[in-house]
Amino acid sequence: MARTTTGPVKRQDADEPPAGERAPSALTEFLRNQEIGVVAAVAVLVVAFSLANGNFASVSNMQTMGVDLAQYGLLALGVSFVMLTGGIDLSIGSVVAFSAVWGAWLNVHVGLPGALAIAVVLGTGALIGLAHGFAVTVIRVPPFVTTLVTLVAARGAALAITKGFPIDGVGTSFSNLAQLRLASIPVPALLFAGACVIAWFFLERTYIGRQVYAVGGNAEAARLAGIRTERRVVLAYIVSGVCAAAVGVLVTGRLGVGQPSIGNGWELNAIAAAVIGGISLTGGSGRVLGVAFGAILLVCINSGLVIMHVSPYYQQIVLGAVLAVAIVTDRLRARSSERRQR
Amino acid sequence: MTGTSPAASVEVAGVRKTYGPVEVLRVDDLRLRGGEVVALVGENGAGKSTLISIITGITAATSGEVRIGGTALKNGDPAHAQELGVATVSQEFPLVGQLSAAENLMLGRRAGGGRVVYDRRATERAATALLERLDFSVPVDRPLSRLSVAQQQLIEIAKALGRDPSVLVLDEPTSALGPVESQRVLDSARELAARGRVVVFIGHRLDEVQQVADRVLVLRNGRLVADLAPEEATQEAMIRAMVGAELTDLVGELPQLAAGAEPVLRVDGLTAAGIGPIDLRVGRGEILGVAGLMGSGRSRLVHALMGAIPLGGGSMRLDGEPYAPRHPADAVAAGVGLIPEDRKHQSLLLDAPVRWNISLAALPRLARFRLGLSPRSERKFTEEIRQSVKVRCASQEQPIRTLSGGNQQRAIFGRWLANRPKLLLLDEPTRGVDVGAKAEIYRLIERSAQEGAAVVVASSELEELMELTHRTVVLARGRLVTTVSRADYSKQTLMAAANDLPES
Repeated sequence: MARTTTGPVKRQDADEPPAGERAPSALTEFLRNQEIGVVAAVAVLVVAFSLANGNFASVSNMQTMGVDLAQYGLLALGVSFVMLTGGIDLSIGSVVAFSAVWGAWLNVHVGLPGALAIAVVLGTGALIGLAHGFAVTVIRVPPFVTTLVTLVAARGAALAITKGFPIDGVGTSFSNLAQLRLASIPVPALLFAGACVIAWFFLERTYIGRQVYAVGGNAEAARLAGIRTERRVVLAYIVSGVCAAAVGVLVTGRLGVGQPSIGNGWELNAIAAAVIGGISLTGGSGRVLGVAFGAILLVCINSGLVIMHVSPYYQQIVLGAVLAVAIVTDRLRARSSERRQR
Repeated sequence: MTGTSPAASVEVAGVRKTYGPVEVLRVDDLRLRGGEVVALVGENGAGKSTLISIITGITAATSGEVRIGGTALKNGDPAHAQELGVATVSQEFPLVGQLSAAENLMLGRRAGGGRVVYDRRATERAATALLERLDFSVPVDRPLSRLSVAQQQLIEIAKALGRDPSVLVLDEPTSALGPVESQRVLDSARELAARGRVVVFIGHRLDEVQQVADRVLVLRNGRLVADLAPEEATQEAMIRAMVGAELTDLVGELPQLAAGAEPVLRVDGLTAAGIGPIDLRVGRGEILGVAGLMGSGRSRLVHALMGAIPLGGGSMRLDGEPYAPRHPADAVAAGVGLIPEDRKHQSLLLDAPVRWNISLAALPRLARFRLGLSPRSERKFTEEIRQSVKVRCASQEQPIRTLSGGNQQRAIFGRWLANRPKLLLLDEPTRGVDVGAKAEIYRLIERSAQEGAAVVVASSELEELMELTHRTVVLARGRLVTTVSRADYSKQTLMAAANDLPES
């Protein structure tokens, strides 16, 4: 039935399908990416800060940035899954705090061994995500509202467990995870790199990952194409919950105490990193590479401004400005792609 | 004729509407006088909506002039049309779901309470008075979103009537209503006309048209072909004018089907929201048409067969196996595919590449170890399908948004044909594609039948069903009223059946 285009009487329409699709080379594919903007911004910033102050590129500052990056980056990665499905997860900062004290409490007051306590914390994060997913898909509560409830409640739980005071005496499993270095690279940074690779593989090299994009791109079309959209959405919230719990564990390890007031407002940093990295606010597009560099950009800005003794208040303003640029870019991109429609 | 200052009238002079080289409407001289209910009938695509939207200013005419009450309408200016007293009740109601029925009814007007303060009591009193005058029973204090579609439709109609328009356009006002409410609406249309206003009424139910109209205008292919007085406007006469000179031998040959074979799909007593009970048999290689007026349950039937809406009772068998899809995923797993009616909202990932759109339903099958997706094999797979259904694009990586409607639809066909479905369900398969692309889509449908699929085509275009299908089942109000075989195809038969007329 199909007429191939290789025959001798080949039509020369501009319309005719080209004979065979070649895989684009790695370089052209990279240059076509929308992620190139954020990657370039990171490169410029690193050079600028390094020139401005030699301490920026020092090993110890890089190591600090690596640990910060693990915290912001893991949260951004998790919330990106939710955003890809068209949702949002505001609860993650509070879930970090809850997980931090929950792990410490299990370890110190219940006496669970460190590894087991960590496993329980991660499991709890998954359950929180499951509850979010259930509320969003079955009860049809908007994601914003669902996770706002947890934002308030999880913070309350963290304070209730500790009665407001940090939990001391956390075991070495926690601190090992957060403070050790392999070949002078902090373990959390390695964990983040590993998480990026896994997330990249999942989203871009598995069919379930593609279905996550499809749900965010057009949920009804995805459903009618036979995709169990609810399951994909639930999965995304679980990923986000587990990532937040993991950051809670890292934070407790880093501080050596279960601190209930930690993580305040971190959800906004994470969402900002995702948006700066090109995750669309309406769902369905954006890549792990962008999210990773979005997080790197935020950490560089924070660290660079600290090193240059800029007041923390101004840091917030700079952050806000960067976010504004990212959001406006996102909208302009969406508009121009709509205009290309015939 | 009481009360109206300038005599209500609509005059249409030399109006044409063209899209590129295609002329979709040409009305040289049409005068609608106050005091009459004018019904506008015609097949899908005959130009009814175009004419209406030009009169209401929603669409700009390519040339010509519309005068409302003697004043020339600024071409394509809906606000001006409203100023001139034109009110429209469309099929999609622009109402505010969270506000109460009363608030919606009085939207943009002020009842009591002075300039700033909103007076809920006065609003509800005014709304109640209006509804009572019209004899519509709708609770006014509830949020609109908690009312039924029929009640919302009544609110929309009451809103238009409440403005006391000189020209009222009703676009299928009764398609969502039951018999009692329909009667009320038709009565209020009559009453408005009796007060000297112009009422234009687009209807699909010919019995209602007959009952309400003082004058029936029939459109065919963008031209006014008949202007009937009530006594001339029998349903048979209207149908004859709508379909025009019928060439029965236009119906070509289709491949013969093997007789007596076990059907691929057996449906017994199927019910779902708004449809049923329905019995169906579709054989291997057979193309079955589903005809019916708007709201007759065509789309619901194909969605029910896909598991996309909850099933009520009844049983289905697919290739002899029990088939009861609770989710489209079950249907896909059983070898069923659906091409829905609204490409943009129900089929496409608009911003995603062509490749993603084509491979969407085949992803689990493409995956290695039930998980991994290799870009190379996905590209190869997509390329084969793209060529086989002839999607024309520069690259399979370009967003599908940038393709023409026909190319998009072919890509969606590719999505399903790649799965070699046992049963392929199509809802308005050629909506929004141009004539050339239409023929190519017909070839794709025939090809999938030849490859052994049972195909169900729901369509509002009778020509489409007559060209494509072996048999057509006709639905009316959710029930299957008759089955017409290809030998008996004529537009008259199908349209009479859809209107649920006795055999003529």
